[in-house]
Amino acid sequence: MQTPTMSTSMATLTARPTSTVPGAPAKLPAPRQCYLLPGRRAGLAGGAPSASSKKKNPWLDPFDDGPDEDFDYTGVYSGGKQEEDPRPPEDPTNPYGFLRFPPSYMPELDSLASKVRGDVRRACCVVSGGVYENVLFFPVLQLLKDRYPGVLIDVVASARGKQVYEMCKNVRYANVYDPDDEWPEPAEYTHQLGVMKNRYYDMILSTKLAGTGHALFLFMSSAREKVGYVYPNVNGAGAGLFLTEMFKPPTTNLSDGGYNMYQEMLEWLGRPAKGVPQQPIPPLRVSISKKLRAIVEDKCSRAGVEKGKYIVVHGIESDSVANMKSRGDDDCLLPLEQWAEIAKEISSGGNGLRPLFVMPHEKHREEIEDIVGKETSYIFITTPGQLTCLINDAAGVVATNTAAVQLANARDKPCVALFSSEKKARVFLPYAEEKKSCTIVASTTGKLVDIDIEAVKNAVKDFQPAPSFALAQQ
Amino acid sequence: MASVPLLKPHSHCSALPSVRRCGPATVHAQRSAGRSGAAALKARAFPLDVVPLMVTMVEHVDNQRDWVVTKSIWHLSDTAIKSFYTFYAMFTVWGICFFGSMKDPFYDSEYYREQGGDGTVHWYYDRQEDLEASAREELLREDLLEEIEKRVGGLRELEEAGIK
Repeated sequence: MQTPTMSTSMATLTARPTSTVPGAPAKLPAPRQCYLLPGRRAGLAGGAPSASSKKKNPWLDPFDDGPDEDFDYTGVYSGGKQEEDPRPPEDPTNPYGFLRFPPSYMPELDSLASKVRGDVRRACCVVSGGVYENVLFFPVLQLLKDRYPGVLIDVVASARGKQVYEMCKNVRYANVYDPDDEWPEPAEYTHQLGVMKNRYYDMILSTKLAGTGHALFLFMSSAREKVGYVYPNVNGAGAGLFLTEMFKPPTTNLSDGGYNMYQEMLEWLGRPAKGVPQQPIPPLRVSISKKLRAIVEDKCSRAGVEKGKYIVVHGIESDSVANMKSRGDDDCLLPLEQWAEIAKEISSGGNGLRPLFVMPHEKHREEIEDIVGKETSYIFITTPGQLTCLINDAAGVVATNTAAVQLANARDKPCVALFSSEKKARVFLPYAEEKKSCTIVASTTGKLVDIDIEAVKNAVKDFQPAPSFALAQQ
Repeated sequence: MASVPLLKPHSHCSALPSVRRCGPATVHAQRSAGRSGAAALKARAFPLDVVPLMVTMVEHVDNQRDWVVTKSIWHLSDTAIKSFYTFYAMFTVWGICFFGSMKDPFYDSEYYREQGGDGTVHWYYDRQEDLEASAREELLREDLLEEIEKRVGGLRELEEAGIK
């Protein structure tokens, strides 16, 4: 709202296909490889009129008929991406303490181009949902970092979702505040508002479907650009009034979009600008810290498994909050009886592999011992960081549609994914065809319980113990 | 005090029977009797407008001016008394809390300072955030190193291929 002309220029660029920037496809800078999602992305980058070719926010300007083709909205200053933080060295001898702004806060020293371009130096992402949704948000963070070099990204997520960010190198602060809480405590609400205001964000992204209430929350953070999803139904009425850019998902549940749930946001963020082609969407990548690695190695040795010689089994039926399932897939946990059969197949394979059950709650210890067997190995892990580390050291992963599947693919580990239906599999693993290491077994009846155990057993047979040199490389 | 009748000349003698004559007369006396009538200036302030007058006593002595004594009374209402004592009690409590906490040896102790305490209430969370942020920075650095190593490795392979 503060800079309406600015947001006009930004939003209208969305509507333009890449063809208005002549020769842009040829000038594509060597992008981060997009091998997880080549097909769909390539089509978009090629200038096809995408979902983002719409009018800009009609709440802010009801007479907006889209961009004027002949007008140069961006002017002479705004070519190219922003520079990384143009911070002159501090002068310790200066008696006035001149130029001692904290990094990324450069009000006086910023160039005019920065203003015109709409540089984003500090961004905040309000991510709704649990572990799965937050893991899938990683490409957005990477895209932000690529599109706006030098940006500082903070995240506001629920307590469960925050744990994911120990694997993310692109984030500065991760704050706990549950945006899905319909009745937050007033103290918490105002505190979070204060925190967000104090950090003077340039852009705030929200993945919670906003009605007027959430839109106001974003608005009150005083960020320059407030960008977020709004309800596609009547609940979204008026929310756009407080946002500079809004996206409407096809359904009221964003997680129904599966792996591409943040598609609209990604397209808008990576929109071409003057001298900047459409930003390719990066694949999902997670990193593992040394500390985490040490912790998980210790846990593994106590569980009695050897590095590279075990298969991670994830997706035991449980009512624990730590089961890491997606909101878009209700039927994604398999009862232990069926896991027991799969585990038997793994351990009888003859190549020295052992199944390692990941239990989300201590109460499953006895169940596992009763149903699967006393000598089976299990490990109690609730945080996604430790799970990733475990998967990284494993020979492979057998999992239902939990975050483990995405994490395994993010670390390029062989993976057998059990889905309740073909449709869900296509939504949540759209890149499975390109990846040789990922096998999908889908139930034909639409219920995960009826899954064809023989097919799973066949898929599991292909697992090979990870050679030691390969592990040494990672 | 002597200036009060100058400002409000009539209040000085408002209790006297002839208010209308007395007022200007006083001012006049003060002006004309510059040397001799210093007593005219020594009128007391008379806060009749504020508090209710209870009694006025006039004593006559020969060859002197009349002695005029007025008595008034000022009562606090029950509510006012209650407010006063409430304020007094709250101020006392605040004072005990505030001044009592000013010198707490705990906050100067090593135990508190060495963990990062700086006297604010929020230091614990700030430190936690900074720890997390620095851990992520570390992660970024490790990743960059890995990438660089990969690239260097690739370059070396290329070079070797070129030599062969």
